[in-house]
Amino acid sequence: MPASLPLSLQLAWLIPLYGFSGMALALPWACGWFPRNGQRPAAYLNLLVTLVAVVHGSLALRDVWLTGPHHISLPWFSVADLTLRIGLDLSLNSLAALELVTFMSLLAQVFSLGYFDKEWSLARFYGLMGFFEGALSGVVLSSNFFLCYFLLEMLTLSTYLLVGFWYAQPLVVTAARDAFLTKRVGDVLLLMSVVALAAWSGSMEFTDLYSWAAQVKADGSLAPLAGTLLGLGLIAGPMGKCAQFPMHLWLDEAMEGPNPASILRNSVVVTAGALVLMKLMPLLQLSLIANDVLLAVGTISAVAGALVALAQVDLKRAFSYSTTSYLGLVFVAIALQQPGIALLLLLCHGLAKALLFMSVGSVIATTNCQDLTEMGGIGRRMPATLSAYLVAAAGLVGLVPLGCFWCFGQAVSALFDSSPVFAGVFLLTNLLTAANLTRVFRSLFLGAPTPKTRRCPEVNWLMALPMVSLTVIVLLMPLLLQRIDPIPGIAAFPMAAGLGVGLSGALGVAVGAWMPLDQFWSRSIAQPIRSFQDLLAFDFYTERVYRVTVVAFVAQLARFSNWVDQRVVNGLVDGVGRLSLASAEDLKLSVSGLLQTYLLLMVVGIVGLLITLSALGGLEVLP
Amino acid sequence: MTSLPLLSLLLAVPFLGCLGLLLWPGSPSPNQLRGGAIATLVLQLLVSLLVLLVFDSSLSGLQLRESHGWLPGIGLDYRLGVDGLSLPLVLINAALSLVAVVCTREFSRRPRVYFALLLLISGAVNGAFLADNLLLFFLFYELELIPLWLLISIWGGANRAYAATKFLLFTAVSGMLILGAFLGLALLTGTVDFSLTPVSSERLAMGSQLWLLGALLVGFGIKMPLVPFHTWLPDAHTQASTPVSVLLAGVLLKLGTYGLLRFGLGLFPEAWARLAPALAIWAAVSVVFGSLAAIAQRDMKKMVAYSSVGHMGYVLLAAAAATPVALLGAQFQMVSHGLISALLFLLVGIVYRKTGTRDLDVLHGLLNPQRGLPLTGSLMILGVMASAGLPGMAGFIAEFLVFRGSLNAYPLATLLSMVGSGLTAVYFLLLVNRAFFGRLAITPPQDPLRHARLDVLLPPVAPRETLPAIALAAAVVVMGLLPQQTLGDLSEATTTAMADLPVMVAVLQPGGLG
Amino acid sequence: MPVISAELVRSGGMPAAEELTGRLLSGHTLLRDTPEHLVEVVDVLASYGEVLDAYSINLIYQAEKQFLNPFPVFKYFDGDLNLARLWRHLNHDRINFEYAEYCMKAMLWHGTGGLDAYLDSPAFLDHCRRIIARKRRRDPLLALLDPLAPSFLPELIRTAATVHALGQFWRVMSDLFLDLATAERQGRVRSIADVVAFIQQGLVAAAAQPITYGVEVAGEHCWVLPPEAGLTFLVDVAVPYVEAVFLRGMPFFGTVSFNAQAQQISPDQARFTYGALYADPLPTMGAGIPPSLLMQDMYRHLPERLHQMYRQCSRGEGDVHVKICQSFQKSMFCVTNAAINGTMPHPLEAPDPAHQAANRAYAEAWAARLSVARTDCLDEALPPVLD
Repeated sequence: MPASLPLSLQLAWLIPLYGFSGMALALPWACGWFPRNGQRPAAYLNLLVTLVAVVHGSLALRDVWLTGPHHISLPWFSVADLTLRIGLDLSLNSLAALELVTFMSLLAQVFSLGYFDKEWSLARFYGLMGFFEGALSGVVLSSNFFLCYFLLEMLTLSTYLLVGFWYAQPLVVTAARDAFLTKRVGDVLLLMSVVALAAWSGSMEFTDLYSWAAQVKADGSLAPLAGTLLGLGLIAGPMGKCAQFPMHLWLDEAMEGPNPASILRNSVVVTAGALVLMKLMPLLQLSLIANDVLLAVGTISAVAGALVALAQVDLKRAFSYSTTSYLGLVFVAIALQQPGIALLLLLCHGLAKALLFMSVGSVIATTNCQDLTEMGGIGRRMPATLSAYLVAAAGLVGLVPLGCFWCFGQAVSALFDSSPVFAGVFLLTNLLTAANLTRVFRSLFLGAPTPKTRRCPEVNWLMALPMVSLTVIVLLMPLLLQRIDPIPGIAAFPMAAGLGVGLSGALGVAVGAWMPLDQFWSRSIAQPIRSFQDLLAFDFYTERVYRVTVVAFVAQLARFSNWVDQRVVNGLVDGVGRLSLASAEDLKLSVSGLLQTYLLLMVVGIVGLLITLSALGGLEVLP
Repeated sequence: MTSLPLLSLLLAVPFLGCLGLLLWPGSPSPNQLRGGAIATLVLQLLVSLLVLLVFDSSLSGLQLRESHGWLPGIGLDYRLGVDGLSLPLVLINAALSLVAVVCTREFSRRPRVYFALLLLISGAVNGAFLADNLLLFFLFYELELIPLWLLISIWGGANRAYAATKFLLFTAVSGMLILGAFLGLALLTGTVDFSLTPVSSERLAMGSQLWLLGALLVGFGIKMPLVPFHTWLPDAHTQASTPVSVLLAGVLLKLGTYGLLRFGLGLFPEAWARLAPALAIWAAVSVVFGSLAAIAQRDMKKMVAYSSVGHMGYVLLAAAAATPVALLGAQFQMVSHGLISALLFLLVGIVYRKTGTRDLDVLHGLLNPQRGLPLTGSLMILGVMASAGLPGMAGFIAEFLVFRGSLNAYPLATLLSMVGSGLTAVYFLLLVNRAFFGRLAITPPQDPLRHARLDVLLPPVAPRETLPAIALAAAVVVMGLLPQQTLGDLSEATTTAMADLPVMVAVLQPGGLG
Repeated sequence: MPVISAELVRSGGMPAAEELTGRLLSGHTLLRDTPEHLVEVVDVLASYGEVLDAYSINLIYQAEKQFLNPFPVFKYFDGDLNLARLWRHLNHDRINFEYAEYCMKAMLWHGTGGLDAYLDSPAFLDHCRRIIARKRRRDPLLALLDPLAPSFLPELIRTAATVHALGQFWRVMSDLFLDLATAERQGRVRSIADVVAFIQQGLVAAAAQPITYGVEVAGEHCWVLPPEAGLTFLVDVAVPYVEAVFLRGMPFFGTVSFNAQAQQISPDQARFTYGALYADPLPTMGAGIPPSLLMQDMYRHLPERLHQMYRQCSRGEGDVHVKICQSFQKSMFCVTNAAINGTMPHPLEAPDPAHQAANRAYAEAWAARLSVARTDCLDEALPPVLD
């Protein structure tokens, strides 16, 4: 490392550690070392270290802006021909992503102070948030695939612990389990690829991996099957992280977890997953099949996710499926080699979705209810929540010129000529999302107040403040995008594309305004409509499909193994024992005997052994 | 170097301690006996650390050698030495023996014999790891067996007679096979020095080599254990008391893996290379089978025991691949599995002592902050995550090295083993979810309908009861985060030692997928 | 595998509804009269009284001095802002006023009784209009927000009114519980029946006390709950409080799923059973269990006699919050008992069969609601010692 490097960059490796240190700082309170006091100091300390991370990150961002990108590489572990290093990529992109992570974490933590005003176990929660933030910051900064995997797994663990925060509640327990196992499936497949790359390419730095990929692609030294398997393994990890079909179920269930964690999960966690996928893009070039799978998965997730979201009656789930859907679009963009669009979409979606989940959180905190059929008529009694919802919705759909409008415009114009079908996917997703947001808006804010929304005072200032701040940021998104000014410019798409996007959004709003709302579980009478509704409401029965396929398969296999173990292996042993070793019974009897017997036995054994050896040895000496 | 016979000291300390306990005049109280045992083991740990200090990791071959004739007529010499392969295991043995004695809480029955036997085992294990003579190794290998058998059969659970007998028979067969192989080697090559010199095909025909190696494989495979010779292990664990389980899983299974590497791979490199592809498949089967069987278990301790079956399979896989990285991974896996399984058995032991059951269908919600076992539960989450190979803990780096080192040689077996690693997460997550999450309650198996849920008052866990577990957990995390700093020297030593193993790496590598 | 030893297992048997009806009609107390129970109830109520005192002072301060403050950063300081107090606040070495707000939210949200009805009346809206008009002159933020969201400020004023009313209610209850402790020390209360009678007398004496609330806006005193609204202690605040906090409550995150598809929470708030009398004491101090805050506050004010008793059973200090929660439930059953006795349609001794039938119907209605509550504590002694 050159000494001339600004201090903020020299010490950039500290940034992920701030989050992790928050976990350590929360430990004394989580362990109950201060019985007379509450656990809030842990929360304040975590807020403080997150603030430090934000400030350090922005200093680093400024320095990179001034002096250009840098790379930090520290030794971690090296043996034989294996060298594992900690590599941090200090570029504008990664530091901007870092700022997104730390800043969103800061907002979510302030929001939690308000949301969890009556929660006791704050230290554990904030400690986990610190862990979460540390892992996320590390993932976005890492320039090294090994480090990336390392931290992704930590992210999986922290997701498990955060979803399982209310571990005494039965549905939380299954949700935490499924979140962990689903991600773990992705992670194990990813690990296979990590190991393979470590074994084949030698270095785990992304830049070295890129040149390795280019080289083997050029000289064809990698077998096609190996390339395909490698590619599939590489996309499996991000698929699990980004909750793509068919590994999307956990995000739905994870909505059992605390809302402040949902804010992060639906915005920055999925973003981190997609960023990893983008880092892997050059490697995916090794296999056409992997790219096709990526495209298919993205398309299915985008459209099916949006459709399923439309049928949800649960407030949080209606938007968690929309996260699956948007990340599907990101996958499509990545598969079609449009990383710029994917990045923009991630940024716009992340911020708007976080804001949406904040407004959802404040509705839940006020009404004690997540059931859309039991709500309505909140109206203008909660202005901060209402404006947050409206701005977030506007930022998500392509209708008014906030964030996602520009992304969709870019995407449609970029894809229209080469692959018009996928331009259509973008438009259709936009339409469905607009319809969903409009429908939920009607359910929440319009109509007459219901018993559960009869009294709706605005939430406390600790929730309102981050919500309003983020509202302003999402409103200023177009200016920010202009400042970033990607090539070929944020508004560099033809009028027709913009019109198409706007039209699809407007159509979606119209559909959402027209579609009948479920009220207190009233349902359509027509059987086909009901079936279709159910199909979507229960997420294509994915959970049941899993239960009768994967889960049942593993369970059967486990039962079979156990049976083999007990009946065949053990039975054989017992049988042999019974047949040939009647002495076993004698041994058994002798157990209850005296100590002297044991010692005698021992001595006899050893002496016998020595005699045998001498005899054999003598034998050996003879010739 | 030092003039002290450090290695002999490593044997003398526990053996003399054992003798001291047995001959302690008067009637010392159990606590005094425990104190004596702890003092002995602390001394042993200090001597082990001293060995680590004077050990030069850049040198290859055995160090601190001691050699005295004993029964030269039969080739039995008192020859000791330590290298990178045995040193970590000696350290683990010292640490876990101490943990086992410290975590002993119930010593109403014959405390004098109990602690003496624990010391005897510790000394015998040291002897086996340090022996530089086949017969000496075998002697210590057998010496460790009888005290363990006694520990299970006297201080074990209700069904201890069956488990102890089964253990004894299996291990006796294992011993016979190993002895047979050693004697056979001596007979067939016509040398009686029983030294650890590798056998080349010039000296011994490949067919004979394969037979001898086969005997060793089965012998040590029983001890490790590998499927299908593992069936004694779950029974022994479920009947053994917690300290014995800690020793059994943490240290004694390592005798099997150590033997496999030192004698299987070390003595018969050519035959090993011939058998390696089959061994890789055997390893994968063992991993997957062990993991699947663990999923079906309802007894927490059995589950942890089956996880050992799975995790020891990685060592065989690494040994089959025999690349430097894989062998280092095998070594790491022995150390990390020793710590992690000891941690898990300690925690299961606490649960069992407080609740009287280990049945996953009965226990629920033990993480309850005030009436449950929250600290035990938190450590359990850490332990199972470490066992499942989550990064940041010792298990990950070991598994990563094993997989990375074996993938090119045996891609299919490696991938299957990785699936097994994924399955570890499944069964341990079930364990945590069932027993620790949810509302604190018990469901008695007799009549679940009438007493669907019973509140239960559990005795509190005193801080000193969790102290050994906290220490182990800390070690697991520190090793996982800073492997270079903690295990760097050892890994250098191991690499040097492994380089000595005359393995024809080039012969083994079929080029890989790439 | 050994079975869990019997003395450690509690099957949680609850008395049947008929049993509860019998106790109510025969004049017996719901809680079994034992010397141990007396100490538990009196002492836990004494610490509750201390805590309620702090809650009450703070709620009244919030309603009067932090009225419509958009950023009430120092709302828990009771106007006493100094460095020592700030440090204690940051160190969380303080009463958890959040729990008082939680109870207030429960009252506001469930909205039963006279206070709630008044909050929807035209008279109340008139007062709101007057207050907002005055407030807007001084406060540019509100001046901007009010025209955009005209229903926003009235909803906040309703909240403030509930805050103040709860503060007044707890003032009375705090004094009553502290008086009870004094009476027990002086030997005037010697049994659980005496406790119930004492509380009943206190409630009856305060029943007609008026509930009013006015704020100072821009130098002028404005009524929010004027005297002419005729709101009184028992009917308009105490009964809704019991309904909202003792009986209905709000679902706890840590025990019940909010998932709409799981349908674990009833759409009908009247059927909620998440209140103090129903709450499972076991998860206390776990995540998502709001009463943990109250238990901690009471723990900080626990009388030495009761604390000593707790130290000597089950895990001693280790599960003290669960034991406080159980004792608290016992004492709340006593308060409920007093409230039922006080609101019985006719005296229990009334010879008229029609009166008796009315009493029976009343008692049965209560017994039906209480029979699914945590009545297992009524006959239960403190747990045995565990080492």
